[in-house]
Parts: sequence; C-alpha cells; structure tokens
Amino acid sequence: MIGEPLRGRPDERSGIKSWVAILAAVVLLPVFVRHAIATEIWIFAIFGLGLNLLMGYAGLLSFGQATFFGSAAYVAGYLLKYYGVNVFLALGVGIVVGAVSAAAVGYLCVQRSGLYFIMLTFALNQMFYFTAYQWTTVTGGEDGMPGIPRPSLLGFDIHRPLAYYSAVAVLFLLSLWVMKRIVESPLGKILQAIRENELRAEALGYNVPRMKLVAFVVGGAFSGLAGVLYAMLFGIVPLESIGFVFSGNVVFATLIGGSGSLYGPVIGSFVFIWLSESVSSMWARWPLLLGVAFVIVVLFFRGGVAEAWARFWVWRAARRAPGPVQADASR
Amino acid sequence: MSVLSRREVLKLGGAATAAGLGFPVVLRAQPKEIPMLGLWSFTGAFSDVGPVLDRGMKMALDERGMKIQGKTIKYITRDDETKAGSATRRAEEAIDADGVKYIIGPWSSGVALAVSEVAKRKKTFHYFSGGTEDISGARCHRYSFQWAASPYTAAKTVVDNFMQANPKAKRWHLLVADYAFGWSVEKYIREVGKGHGIEFVGADRHPLGEREFSNYVTKAAGNKPDVVAMINFGLDAVTGAREIFNFGLTPKVPLILTWSSGVEELVQLNPEIRENMWVGSNFYYTADTPVAREFVKSYQAKFGNPPGYAPAAAYGMTRMMLHAMDKAKSTEVPDVIKACEGLEVDDLVGRMKVDPKTHQTLRPYFFMRCKKKEAMKDAMDFADIIATGSTPLPAEYAACKDIGSL
Amino acid sequence: MGEGDDIVNVPLLFSQILNGLATGMLYALMGIGLSIITGVLNIPNFAHGALFALGAYFLYTLIQLIGNFWLALLLAPLGVGLLGVLIEYGGIRPLYKAGHDYQLLLTFGLSLIVTESIIIVWSPVGMSQLPPPILRGGVDLGITFYPKYRLFVMGSAALLVLGAWLFLEKTRYGAIMRAGIEDKEMVALLGIDIHRLFTAAFALGCVLAGIAGALTAPIRGLNPWMGVDMLGIAFVVVALAGLGNLLGSIVAGLLVGLAQSLVALVWPEASVAVIFAVMAAVLLVRPQGLFGIR
Repeated sequence: MIGEPLRGRPDERSGIKSWVAILAAVVLLPVFVRHAIATEIWIFAIFGLGLNLLMGYAGLLSFGQATFFGSAAYVAGYLLKYYGVNVFLALGVGIVVGAVSAAAVGYLCVQRSGLYFIMLTFALNQMFYFTAYQWTTVTGGEDGMPGIPRPSLLGFDIHRPLAYYSAVAVLFLLSLWVMKRIVESPLGKILQAIRENELRAEALGYNVPRMKLVAFVVGGAFSGLAGVLYAMLFGIVPLESIGFVFSGNVVFATLIGGSGSLYGPVIGSFVFIWLSESVSSMWARWPLLLGVAFVIVVLFFRGGVAEAWARFWVWRAARRAPGPVQADASR
Repeated sequence: MSVLSRREVLKLGGAATAAGLGFPVVLRAQPKEIPMLGLWSFTGAFSDVGPVLDRGMKMALDERGMKIQGKTIKYITRDDETKAGSATRRAEEAIDADGVKYIIGPWSSGVALAVSEVAKRKKTFHYFSGGTEDISGARCHRYSFQWAASPYTAAKTVVDNFMQANPKAKRWHLLVADYAFGWSVEKYIREVGKGHGIEFVGADRHPLGEREFSNYVTKAAGNKPDVVAMINFGLDAVTGAREIFNFGLTPKVPLILTWSSGVEELVQLNPEIRENMWVGSNFYYTADTPVAREFVKSYQAKFGNPPGYAPAAAYGMTRMMLHAMDKAKSTEVPDVIKACEGLEVDDLVGRMKVDPKTHQTLRPYFFMRCKKKEAMKDAMDFADIIATGSTPLPAEYAACKDIGSL
Repeated sequence: MGEGDDIVNVPLLFSQILNGLATGMLYALMGIGLSIITGVLNIPNFAHGALFALGAYFLYTLIQLIGNFWLALLLAPLGVGLLGVLIEYGGIRPLYKAGHDYQLLLTFGLSLIVTESIIIVWSPVGMSQLPPPILRGGVDLGITFYPKYRLFVMGSAALLVLGAWLFLEKTRYGAIMRAGIEDKEMVALLGIDIHRLFTAAFALGCVLAGIAGALTAPIRGLNPWMGVDMLGIAFVVVALAGLGNLLGSIVAGLLVGLAQSLVALVWPEASVAVIFAVMAAVLLVRPQGLFGIR
C-alpha cells in the first residue's frame, strides 16, 4: 500500500547527506533556473510535504489538498490586497485557514475509510472549487484575484525575484525541518502504525480518527503556507489553485518523487515543476507525457524517483561485487 | 527498468533543460533586438486558438521581414493555458528573463485582466483582442490597448441592422451570460432598442460555463418572442445555439449571436443549427478592405482555411503596434504608447482609430447572416456580411475617467 | 433572474422536472457503472469521466464512418468496453498485489492520458452531433413543448438501467457479480475465476459510461473535458447510494438530476456546488449513504 517502505528506499539515516544535498540545491538552483520557477519548486515542495504526511505516513490518499492551499491563498490574498496586512500576518492567516479548512474537511472524511474517504476528499474539493468559481464578487471567479501585493519582510524589500526566492527558500528549509521533527515524533510513528494496520492501532488504544484528523490539520497548515507564498509569488490567486487539477498535481509530484520518504515530495516537486515548465513550452500536449510517466511510476516504480535512485545503487553494487549484495555498503 | 533507458531519460531531460530553462544571461535580448511576446493558449479551454493566433502575429511580423526601426524582432510565444495564473507567470517570466517589452494577447478576457496588471506593473506595452470593457474602462491605464470594438458599437450595429432587415420583430428575448461584459452589452441593447420600439419580453442570465440550457430555452419559448438574442461567447454560445435548435425554436425564430468570434464558434455547429442565425463579430473573412483581402488570401494560401477572428485579431493588433512604432520612429515603450494614442489608419477592418482617452480602438463591427445549407459554397462558407457599424461608445458611458500617467 | 419569471409557472416547472429526470437517468447510468467497478474491484475509477467522453467521441466518429446513428450508438459503448478490458488486464490486474491505492492511482493517470489523447486525435475544438433526423425537433406534450431527443434519452437510459438491474438481479452472471461485491473471497472459494470477474465488471462499468456519453453527445455536444464534471457527479451518486448498491444508484442519480434542475430555477449559480453540499450533509448524518448498508 501507499507509503510502505520499499526495497532500497533511502531513509532518514542518511540524514546529514540529505541535508547537505538539499542545502546545495537551494543555493545552486537560482543559478540554473529562472528565479520564479525555482521559487515555485520550493513552494510546491512545501505543499507536497503536507500531502505526504497524509499519503506517505498515514496512508490516507487525499485527493483534495488544493482545498486548503486555495482557501488559504484566497483569504490571505484578500487581506493582502484590500487590507494591506503585513507579510507575517498573511502567512499566519494562511497557515490557520489551511488548518481550519482541513479540520472541517477532515472531520467529514476521517469517519469514513478507504474508498469513501478518497471520494469524499475529491467531492469536497469540487464543492470548494465551484463555490470559488461562482462567488465572483469575492474570488473573481474564473479570472482569479489579481493584484496581490508583496509587502516588505522585516524591512527587506522582497519584490525582486531573487529576494523573494531567498525568503521562500528559508521558509521551505524551516518547513522541512518541522516536518522531519513531526514524522520522527510519536505522532509520526502512530500515523505509520495506522497505515500498517488500522485495527491493531485501535486495539492498542489509539484514537484513530482523532490521529487522522491531526494529520489532516497539520497537512492543511503546510498546504496553507504554500498557498499564501504562491499568491505572493505571482501576485494573483488563480482559480486553479483550489481546483482538482492542482490536487492531482501534488499527488503526481509526491508519488513520482517517492511517497515512502520524507524527501520524496521535494524530489517530486523538482521533477514535476521542471518538467511542466520545460516540456510544456515544447509540446502543448505535455499532460499526456505526465499521465504516461505517472502510469509508469505506478506500474514499475511505486517508490518514485527516491526508490529508483536507491535501486540503482543496489544494482550497481550487485554488478561490481560478484558475491551476495550488501545492500547497505553502496550507500 | 534498465540503466540504458535511464540514460535516455537523462538525455531527454538534459535537452529539455537546455531548451526550456536555459541560462537567463544567454536569453536576454541583445540591444539590437526587440523581443515581442505572443501570449496564446496552447492548452486549456481555448487551446484551439493558440496555434492560429500565433500564425496571425507571425504573418504580420513577417510582412516587415522581422525588422522594425532598424532592429530585429525576436518573436516568442508563451502558453497562458487559458488561465489567469499561468498567464501572469509566463508574462512576468518573459519580461524578466527575455527582456520582453511588447505583449500581444491573451485571448480570454478574464486572463487579459491579469496580464493587464502585469503590463502596468512592469511598464510593458500590451494590446488585447477581447471584449471586456474593463480594460478600456474601469481598469484603464496607459499600457494596455484594446483592439475589439466597444460593446456599445456591437450592440448598435446588431440592433440597428437586424431591425432594418426585420422591422416587424419587436418582441425580443435576451439570454445573457452572467458576467460584467454580458450586463454591459445587455444595457446597450436595451438603450438602442428603445429607439426602435423594441419590447423586451424576457431576459435571463445564465452562469458562465453553463451546460444545461434547456430551462432557459423553455422560458424563452414561453415568452413567444419574435427574436432571441444571445449575449455570450465561446462554448456557452455554441451550447445555447444547439439547445435552441434542439427545442425547435430556431429556425422559426431568428437567433442573434451578439458578440461572436465568428468562424471559431460557427464551425462547431451544423448548417441546420445555423439556419436563421444572425451574427455580430469583430471580424469575418469576407471583409471587403484591401488589407483584409490580402490577409485572407495569403492565409488561405498558406493554411488552406480562411482565417477566423483569432488569427485576424493577432494580425491586426500586431499591425497596429507596428504602425505605432512607425509613427513614433522608435521602439521605446513610452514613445510607442504616445504614438499609439490617437493613431489613425486604414487597416484590417477599415478605418481604425485609437481613442487616446480610453485606449479603445474605434473601428467597424460586422453583422452577418448565416447561410442555409444549400446556399453554402463550401464547408467554411458560413455567412454573408450584411452590414458594418462603427458608432463609438458615447462619452457618458465611458468608465475610464483618468487613464493615468506612464 | 429574468422578467416574466414565476416559480409557480407550471410549464417551466414541468419541463424542468423532465430535464431533471433526463439528466438524472444519465447520472444513474454513470452511477451504476461506477458502483459496479467500485463494488467489485474496490477502486473509485477516476477515469470514469474520461471514458464517458470517449463514448461520445466514438459515437461521433462512427457516425462519420458508417452514417448510421443506431449502429454507432450500439458500437461506441462496446468500443469503450473493449478499452476497459485492456485497461483492466494490462494496468489494473498487474497492480493487484500492490494494493487498491495504486490501482486507483492508475485510473487517475489514465484519465489524463485518455483526455489528452482525445485532444490529439479529434482536436480541442468542440463539435456538434445532431440527433438522427427522426428524433429532431420537439413534441407537444400539452403542458409544454419538449425536444424529442431528450425524451428518447430518458426512455433509453431508463431501459438500460432496467436492463442492468435485471442482469444483475436475475442472471447467473449478475449474481456472481453481486456476490463479488459482497464477498470476494467466498466467490473465489466457490471456484469462480475472480480475475475474469474483475475484468468483466470493469468492462461493464466502462460500457455504461460509454453509452451515457454517446447518448449525451447530441444534447451537449462534444468537447474533450465533457467528462470532468460528470466524474464528480458520479462520485456523488455512488457515495449517496452506498457502494455497490445498484438500486440506490438509480434513485440517487434521479435525485441528483432533479435537485440540480430545480435548484437551477431559483439559484442557478449554486446548482453545481449544491450537489456536493448535499452529499456532504447526507454523509455527515448517514455515513453509509442513503441506502447503503456498509
């Protein structure tokens, strides 16, 4: 099932190495990639971290994460645009809106399991979407909510792309660290236990629905943060940010990156944003490639890039050593 | 999966990176280059128009040999995905990374508002082909120009000429898209209609993207109108027209498409549905001006089909921009903007003048009547132009009170 | 809203009810198809909307090729069903060991592939499909004038729904399928090839989606995203009815269709959002759906 540790998965033991790699990526990315795209990658990674807590660790397939992302973006965007609030307040509001909307949706969803859960997350996302679509006086409907300002952060002007990138990158690193602490905490372990065997977790005395709800709320908070950052990045809250396609995109990205790992969403965000930006300018029908890539990942590479990467090392080790393979030695 | 395929994947990835992301330094335009952005839809709801918009703009640029005022024109396109968010992103990227100072497009009005904000913020020249009044109205500013005729012009042309052909059709039923643009056109039709003694026996508003028109059609039929006038566009207009036909209202009762893109919408219907349909549009390919004739001829020679509104608009806007550069004898944005204000030329649709106060292009609007199946000479011979009109929006309705400074 | 507007306007109300029943029947077809797939295979088929669209496009092309509406109406859903067999055999079955989540994700990826393929093959431009000449125009029902084709859709959808119900309730194969929804292990123990059952169930679901799409084409026209809204509504119908509950899907489909058209009379903007709100409300009070037992 989703998120289960797979053969050769790189795990948190290689902590220092992973952090170095990520720091290097954060520093080097703007050199090779347009600042706006680079910023988008980290924002999407934050979004993915939120989903992965649900999908990878709790084993809950949520198809409606855009609900929290988009709601936060709209509310914070509205406040930024019409009330000129400062950045910290906007971010705080975003996190709270993300958490609260997740609590509401989660409350309805965690009472159901399996198929119902999945269908409900999807259907509630649709409800939020159509509400945003029709409530044009507030959300702008199809046109979105343009004109979102980017006020200064602690006195620093973050209008310039590189400045904003730096701010977002710092927030991403912070979010990654917080998520790492969460998954290594008792909560993280309980969620994994629930994923493995819900009945047993319940028998052990854990309030399973409550734990799931907590996961939802935390995931929602992360999604909300990402939403506000997104609104400020492009100066607009587009309708799509609360739509099903967006929910689907983060699922794609997390899965392609590898849902069994903390860093999976980061890798996935990289792959997804990079592909969608570069391939889409070459071929208009690039979603077909995305669908095909996704199907391939689902059929053959369920641990995503993270697993494929680890498997590659195992394969290499097997090629070199004529005897039995030491799976650890190659890492 | 074998390592070999991974290598191939990496190779493709490498090529894609180089092509798609590139190095900002290298992509920045050289001083002798003028980068121009065509912001078109290649994916999303309007993805059919992206390629033809591209054609139109390219044709206009090719006519000048890709050069203006001694500089080489660098034409780039970006996909707005028919979404305000993507359009904003891509436009900003093009401005920041590619040094773009001139934007033509996008196609969709809603998306255009977002792009217009970008143009204002980044001080780039922006020409847009859609109908939303806001760009030359409540949200007007010095950097955006509007190519389509004012909805008032459209309403007047449609109502005046329809009544001339059907003087007895006094009972009108309106079907309006529930959107600021729809409300404006409705307002103007009622204004103009007063002068003709028209009785508006019914008027319904439908949400944008409506799929289920049956209830509106039933209501319309119940009012026993002499004519049904639709104020909507794209898929809504096509779906509405289809339902009105399915219910048997047309062809007995004439149907007016007040603001249509012409070919793009008509091609989605059948001759049976189009019978007794009257269409108002910003362009139709049988337009009788020297520029239009030339354009249609080369377009047809190159691509096989006559051009619809989309390529014509892209072509027309690009030409207006180039005319402004000629007049300004410069490619600096402030000079071109000042030259564009008050620019007056005989171009694609006839005499065209840019109103300096609102940045609206004052030009003729077309009114057509669709042909019966037997009268069609070929599959694309949808209609005949029966009239044009160019009455501009009266000053009292203009929502642009102060267009601001550069 | 508009002038001359009167909610107690009987002809309008009557035709709105007819509209609601017509769309409701289509929703029921979609719901039954999805319910069978979800019930037997335990995966919500995210490709259900895209397959609906494919049914419409197959109809269109078949009519271009063979010129006969009726034959096309028969063949188009079979084409979709055939595709369903290939999908189940080639995609879903290999993932049996990986678990339901991955099978579901496969359908998700497939929906993208199918929609994009439609755009590549047929172009993103919308198209129209006229009903056959015999079904054009309207008929005077006394109270109101109503299009013949919509009456045909109502009637044929009702027949199909009845046919599906009869198949599942009265035939041996249907009984096996229902048993598969109830208890897969038992069915396997009884010696029935569970894999063939899955393929058959998936294909049947696809056929129903395909025929719903084909029937819809002359009403709504064709465009590559015509299945997107349908997917959400199909989920609502199944969630309301309770998984695997076929009679429930019929009733739920009709309810949703009627609710939509009646709400459209008073509050058109909310007519779509309201469906999901109702679903949320029902599930809050009765998590197993209106008729479900599990």
